[in-house]
Amino acid sequence: MQAPSTAESPVHAGQRSFDPVALAVITSRIQGIVRRMTNTLFRTARSSVLNTARDFSCAVVTREHEMLATAESLPIHVMAGPDLVSASLARLHPELHAGDAFLHNSPYHGNSHAGDHCLLVPIVSAGEHHFTAVVKAHMADIGNSMPTTLWANARDVYNEGALIFPGVKVQRDYQDIPDIIEMCRTRIRVPDVWYADYIGMVGAARIGERELLALGEDLGWDTLHAYTGAWFDYSEEMMAAAIRKMPAGRSVAQNKHDPLPVAGAEDGVPVKVTVDVDPENARVRIDLRENPDCMPCGINLTEATSRTAAMIGVFNSLPTTVPQNAGSFRRLDVLIRENCIAGIPVHPASCSTATTGVADRVANATQRAIAELADGFGMAETGTLTASVADISGKDPRHADSPFVNLIIIGLTCGAGHARGDGWLVSGEVGDGGLMMRDSTEVDELLYPIVVWADEIVADSGGPGRHRGAPACYVEYGPADTEIEAMWSTDGYVHAALGARGGYPGAPARQFLRRADGSVEPLPGWGEQLLKPGETVLATSAAGAGYGRPWERALERVERDVADGWVSPEQAEEAYGVVIRDGELDAEATAARRAELAAQSPEPPEILEVEHRSREISDRLGPYVLGTVPPQ
Amino acid sequence: MPDPATSTPGTPPPGTQLGGPPRELDPTLMAVLAHRFEAIVREMTNTLFRTGRSSIINMARDFSCSIITADDQLFAAAEGLQVHVLGAGLQTRSMRELHPDLAEGDAYLHNDPILGNTHTADHTILVPVFIDGEHLFTTSAKAHQADCGNAEPSTYVTYVEDVYAEGGLVFPAVKVQEGFKDVEDIIRMCRKRIRVPDVWYGDFLAAVGAARIGERRVKEVVARYGVETIKAFVREWLDYSERVMDQAIRKLPAATLRASGKHDPIPGLPEGVEVNVTVDVKPDDGRVVFDLRDNPDCIPFGLNVSEYCARGGCTIALLNCLEDDVPRNAGSFRRVEVLLREGSIAGGLVEPYSASVSTTNVLNRIINAAQSAFCQLGEGQGLAEGAGAMGVGYAVFSGTYPPTGGAEGAGSAATGDPYVSEFVIGNNGGPASPYCDGWITYAMPDCSKTIYIDSVEMLERTYPLQFRSLRLLADSGGAGRHRGGPASEVIYGPRATPMRVFYMADYARHPAKGVRGGLPGTAASAHEIATDGSETQVEAIGDSLLAPGEWIRGVEAGGGGYGDPLEREPAAVLHDVLERWVTPGAARDVYGVVLSELPGAPGQLAVDEPATENRRVELREQNEARGQES
Amino acid sequence: MSQTAGARITCDIGGTFTDVVVSDDSGQMTIAKALTQPANLFDGLRAALQRAADELEEPLAQLLGHASLFIFSTTQATNAILEGTTARTAFLCTEGFPDILVRREGGSLRPYDYSRPFPEPYVPRRLTFEIPERIDADGDVVTPLDEQAALAVLTRAREKDVGAVSVCLLWSTANPAHELALGELIERELPGVPYSLSHQINPIVREYRRASGTAIDASLKPLMQRHLPEIAEGLREEGFAGELLAASSAGGVVPMDELIESPLWSVRSGPSLAPVAARTVAHAETGSGDVIVCDTGGTSFDVSLVRAGDLVFTSETWLGEPFAGHLTGLSSVDVRSIGAGGGSIAWVDPGGLLRVGPESARADPGPACYGLGGTRPTVTDSALVLGYIDPDRFLGGKMRLDVGAAETAVQGLADALGIGLRETAHAVLSIANERMIAAIHELTVNEGVDPRDSTLVAGGGAAGLTILAIARELGCREVLIPRAAGVLSAFGGQHSDIVREMTAPYVTNTVDFDYEGVRATLASLRDRMAAFESELPAGLAGELQRRYYVEARYAYQVWDLSIPLDGEGVEDEAALTRLIESFHDAHERIFAVREPGQKIELSQWKGRIIASTVKPPLAAEREHVASEPSARVAYFPETGEVELPVSEGAQLAPGEDVAGPALIVEPETTIVVYPGWRAHVSELGNYRLELKDA
Repeated sequence: MQAPSTAESPVHAGQRSFDPVALAVITSRIQGIVRRMTNTLFRTARSSVLNTARDFSCAVVTREHEMLATAESLPIHVMAGPDLVSASLARLHPELHAGDAFLHNSPYHGNSHAGDHCLLVPIVSAGEHHFTAVVKAHMADIGNSMPTTLWANARDVYNEGALIFPGVKVQRDYQDIPDIIEMCRTRIRVPDVWYADYIGMVGAARIGERELLALGEDLGWDTLHAYTGAWFDYSEEMMAAAIRKMPAGRSVAQNKHDPLPVAGAEDGVPVKVTVDVDPENARVRIDLRENPDCMPCGINLTEATSRTAAMIGVFNSLPTTVPQNAGSFRRLDVLIRENCIAGIPVHPASCSTATTGVADRVANATQRAIAELADGFGMAETGTLTASVADISGKDPRHADSPFVNLIIIGLTCGAGHARGDGWLVSGEVGDGGLMMRDSTEVDELLYPIVVWADEIVADSGGPGRHRGAPACYVEYGPADTEIEAMWSTDGYVHAALGARGGYPGAPARQFLRRADGSVEPLPGWGEQLLKPGETVLATSAAGAGYGRPWERALERVERDVADGWVSPEQAEEAYGVVIRDGELDAEATAARRAELAAQSPEPPEILEVEHRSREISDRLGPYVLGTVPPQ
Repeated sequence: MPDPATSTPGTPPPGTQLGGPPRELDPTLMAVLAHRFEAIVREMTNTLFRTGRSSIINMARDFSCSIITADDQLFAAAEGLQVHVLGAGLQTRSMRELHPDLAEGDAYLHNDPILGNTHTADHTILVPVFIDGEHLFTTSAKAHQADCGNAEPSTYVTYVEDVYAEGGLVFPAVKVQEGFKDVEDIIRMCRKRIRVPDVWYGDFLAAVGAARIGERRVKEVVARYGVETIKAFVREWLDYSERVMDQAIRKLPAATLRASGKHDPIPGLPEGVEVNVTVDVKPDDGRVVFDLRDNPDCIPFGLNVSEYCARGGCTIALLNCLEDDVPRNAGSFRRVEVLLREGSIAGGLVEPYSASVSTTNVLNRIINAAQSAFCQLGEGQGLAEGAGAMGVGYAVFSGTYPPTGGAEGAGSAATGDPYVSEFVIGNNGGPASPYCDGWITYAMPDCSKTIYIDSVEMLERTYPLQFRSLRLLADSGGAGRHRGGPASEVIYGPRATPMRVFYMADYARHPAKGVRGGLPGTAASAHEIATDGSETQVEAIGDSLLAPGEWIRGVEAGGGGYGDPLEREPAAVLHDVLERWVTPGAARDVYGVVLSELPGAPGQLAVDEPATENRRVELREQNEARGQES
Repeated sequence: MSQTAGARITCDIGGTFTDVVVSDDSGQMTIAKALTQPANLFDGLRAALQRAADELEEPLAQLLGHASLFIFSTTQATNAILEGTTARTAFLCTEGFPDILVRREGGSLRPYDYSRPFPEPYVPRRLTFEIPERIDADGDVVTPLDEQAALAVLTRAREKDVGAVSVCLLWSTANPAHELALGELIERELPGVPYSLSHQINPIVREYRRASGTAIDASLKPLMQRHLPEIAEGLREEGFAGELLAASSAGGVVPMDELIESPLWSVRSGPSLAPVAARTVAHAETGSGDVIVCDTGGTSFDVSLVRAGDLVFTSETWLGEPFAGHLTGLSSVDVRSIGAGGGSIAWVDPGGLLRVGPESARADPGPACYGLGGTRPTVTDSALVLGYIDPDRFLGGKMRLDVGAAETAVQGLADALGIGLRETAHAVLSIANERMIAAIHELTVNEGVDPRDSTLVAGGGAAGLTILAIARELGCREVLIPRAAGVLSAFGGQHSDIVREMTAPYVTNTVDFDYEGVRATLASLRDRMAAFESELPAGLAGELQRRYYVEARYAYQVWDLSIPLDGEGVEDEAALTRLIESFHDAHERIFAVREPGQKIELSQWKGRIIASTVKPPLAAEREHVASEPSARVAYFPETGEVELPVSEGAQLAPGEDVAGPALIVEPETTIVVYPGWRAHVSELGNYRLELKDA
């Protein structure tokens, strides 16, 4: 499958034919509209996954189903996806009317995964369809047979249990179609929360509709459509320019998704990405076809997330000045095939975790492949989330045992070292491009009967490198005098983030269960755990990997890392070749050690094991968690 | 939720008093129209049966059609699956409440047990029938689907804590046709979430066809006789039916009866589930009250019973025990009061509890308890317990067709396609009655004999599986003056690709009881047979994954006996032995009947009168002795 | 004296009467009846023939000698089954599946009635024997036939001195080897004992239907193989030298040997000639169109249908009550028979509703008006009270009816209902009609036939009494009562062709249609048809007609619709498209829905041979004797009590009209011309009744 080809699109014609000032003005106005959409949902949503973690995105798509604009959205949501759902909508509902709204979450019709509900509102003026406002949000619950929206072990879409809405009309004449709402209320846990979030999405999309209509009336629709053409041409030119600066060549990168209890995935799922950079023709081609067939579990990617993951890998390696829209996308060819874990899923394959897991592996491999082309390009691999990001559900004794279910997002430090700097600390998986927000501990404890005991950086965990990966964080939480069910799907437990250009891997994820009697036992990479009062989950996320050889890292940066306790003196000396004694830099010893390292140029370690660091924290916290600290 | 069986209908016509003749309509027309409506439902039934796609519909006939009045009174129902039809009014009510704007050409898909359906596996198509813009009737076609999108490939899931874990799509009276055309959105949702979508859609079309045929015919009848006449007829017919029920109940002695039944223990429920029924028979006001309120709360398993099923079950029990043939509609049901408690396992279903197995297991215990309670009224009253095992002979089976094709009927499917459906091939023995032995093809209490049986050849043609044997078992029916119906044993397995079977047999530990001295029937069981022929008994509620070469053997349960076996006609026992329903040993030791060869006619058995006399005396003494011990 | 060269003689040997119809080249028809002699059927037949001969004023030998064709039909088989007087029959089945005949296909008409015992199987379990063998759905042998075990079984069967053996093994339709092998063993071990093999009797999938038909067939063989030759012999001795044919339930006639080979086809063969008769008359009188046929016997009412000139077939022929009786499994003429007749008793139920039947007073004590001790009101009593029956001329005056007794009986009902005597009597008739109307509705609507556009043809003794009331309810504007209404089946025999249907199973579908395979299948079918045609008695058959059908269903369905092929087969895409369209249309016509684009499966290919026989013309000769009609009083709801004319049928000339209300008295029946109707005597001597304003 090819991204829209550009052979005939007149790149320069665009700018010439459209006044550059107007181009800039309209662009910022449309950006403004999307931002207002985003703000609306952020303010009105009910579940913390939306109103705090902001796990949602807003976008505007043209009548030709081209991605026009998004604002601070999760890349995994919006690069490819809005265009695909918009196209499938046109297929399924040839007639679009003002006042219509559609609910769309079908992984087989262009959506990211069933856990993301899309609300699509066609912008129709005088009977003519001009744009589509798209709001995509990760719901707290979607009616899966297990109380989670990310279920790697789902055998197929039936077993997954989600309600699947292939572009289902949910509003007519600006009124809800009660049938659909009733179906959701009957089959989605905590219906009031779902409905409130749904209303938030409707609000966001209707705001977009209102303002786009105003803009259309104001500028005239023809101008607006002329603008989109010009804007796409401009974006394509920006993209082309960036690609022309890249090193030519082919680079292949492979990594592995952690083992799954599924035939063929017992020791992990291999992911392979082949990147061809062609500066001459200003094209980048990413081939994902050499990956395994769909598997009987929830990790299969959707068409949207396969394309997007590859694109993310590329954009992470480009200057941020390149707009992300259908125009710039024209320069990317993502090759995928049907019935492939990183391609187009075949019904009834489950795609429950299509926005994480394999998607991260694809993006990571892509950006690392680019890094290996030449220094100063690309990015190391980003870490992954753990049980510190989990679906929790149960009954809240504080509110008459009313049921609750939600995705808590506490530990969120995964950033990878890249060509221009260290890993971004507060970053979720590569898929969220650092845009996802952490929950507020106070808000979480307010909304749900949980106690968060700890949320702190783990020393030495960030993959050493010229540019260091972001360190992992240690999170410990448990129920507050009730029982809660926690479910998580952790990648990065066995196969950690890999470094680029000699950078070291990030430390792998680790998690444990602390029993009420104080005993601590390891927890599996995916799983579900019923937490009884007094029990806690100890979760260390998978840290980001390093870029470039550690011993080439600027001395003062290493000194600061040590001073801040992000790196231990031992690791500073061992990996970075920086010797610090009693807080003082030993210049000589450092020079010697660095020369030694430069001479040996040691291979990065298979695994950066810093479990003892997490242990230190958990031992320290133990007495508090167990309430065995004698009152002072 | 108010109770359609007891809620009052349109104001009764002046001068209709019980026993008295109908005044508003001449008796001829009454009978004429009654026949018309029956015929319409029969035609609906035939349509669904002939056009259904899954074996559970086109062979087992696990569906039912009915006509309901605009004010939610069940009006006409054919000999469909009984628990399906007796509560139909609940569903049209929720349809009307959720869709105040019903219009001609609409059709609604309803399978929500909380809103008055049986269980989620029964998809009900409701078509409101309009005459000159007025909603007069609703035609209903309710069919058990081969699959309803559950998380596991079974339409009966026991081990699920709630409706979410159950996983099936729930349609709270969702509009699925508008202007006689499909609402494509809904169809697409089903096609993405129900296994083997072509089969589902075919069955959907079949149900729509049935409901539309009903719509057509009802309109013809109204056109022929006029709206006012039909309205009068509806009132009269319901009142008439109430009178018949009144008369029937007046023949019963007044009493308050209590009975209980116990669903087998299952993993997680070591005590099983005990259900209690209190029956208040009030001949003087021609009314019977069933009280199901004294029962446990809903449990985190699929066994909870929906309101629809609980009401239907009590009505079945009553009808089973009445002498007269009473018309089955909201009119006669006015005399049947069913008291339910919200939140109770017996008809008080609340969100988000699962009623996945609502139509069978616990329900069958309720029906049996209720019908056997009537035996307390004295000799000649009530029924024994009927067997109700949803065992291997009623399992939901699934898998994929072999890549290389299979039977002539890998049938409709392309090779490698998935398949899923439910067997209705087993045999549970019917309850013995005061009049005769238990019905053989009884199926189970909630079906009341009406369900059909699969054809072994059709199953083998349609699915890649094979039967090794299917037979009725001697001595399986509970002994008694009248004998319980026999149980079946069935053995089957996959042909070339693995097959998953889900079975949910109650009556494995607590078999169907006999009454008035009658003995219980035999218990149900399930056994896996390995390729080497070795056999392991497995949990009677569970599932098995069978590889080619492996088999599963299932025994359903036998019906309970009525009356003392020692009072059974020796001639009847002789016939039983000759027909291999009873072994000679059981004849001697349980019935006390001694058989011997006729002198000069080798092989010709006859009752040895004197020996039988002695044997029966002997056994009576033993029984009394045993009685004193315990 | 009339000319009888090339006469064509048909007889219908019923339970009580043996009807004979003789017609000559001129179409002159002679009808005669005699009591049936169960002991020796031919005695009864000879008596009837003798009467015909007397009426024609010629010796029986001469009548028979000149006859070119004798067509024979009997209800013997049907009666034998219902009365359980068939042979003691063994049932051999695949080991592991002994209870096929016991469980049937499940189901019950009375869910709450626990007072009736479960019906006994057609063959008791003690005569059921399991044979170690198994063939699978592909026809592959899973377990080879164990001949030793089979021999042991046959020995046991001999000890139990069975009179016939039926064999139905699973999937014998896919591979008959084991059944054929058993056949040979039976001939060897039980010489002279007739047997039936299921794949030969009726090669359909579904074990119960095939087994049931096979068991019935075998159980009839001893009886029929005695009776039929007796009759053949008897006729020859009396001088008959022409061709001897017998009616089959396929709606036609076959050489008698065929029937002796598989007597299952003679079950309900008589009634299936009624629609043949109706088709003939309707075609002659009103041209083509759909025809509803009602044949009202003394205790039963048979409905059948002629759709666009074709008989309608069903595979659901139950002997006895559905689910409780026994299924023949054959695809035979769809004749719905309901127990309804003059003897049905009327009563008021506990709810105060008037009911008719199912209890019947039968012949003894019979209706109150018979004066044989019956006191409960029946349909006949009500008809008498209404004045529709002339008490002095019941059964051609053979029995005098007691009007007082009838009135007393009906008055009882009237009091209970609080309405008048005549209103009550009329209500009883209407309600009795209703069950017939329901039966007609089911038959017609299931076939997508609209009664309002159909012609109603009525036959049988009670035909004329209420047929117009029924017609009015159905909305039929035209009713035909043939001259031979009293002997509809025998008359049908006069006009039936030789009909033989052959089946070739071959599975394909419309998505990847196998032209070659279908071509080959139909070719082999044609060979078999040709073989049958060449066997036909020379000179008997006129033109030969072949029709082809295919049993079709949507993917995953299991019940087929029989779709006629236009032409000899499905040669090209155009033909396939036509076939697909006609299936969709049929499905929508019958079931209200179609599924365009869905795969259609084609399983059984059928060829029907229709060898038309030489038939007598439908001429009418009525000597018109002018006479004044007598008068009597009758009651109609529209008119109340009214004096109306009573005409002698025999005295009405072709072209003559009788306006209702009026009575027309025929030897076998009385025609009640209701107010608003007009009876017209057609050129062919049949009665055409129409609504006046029509």
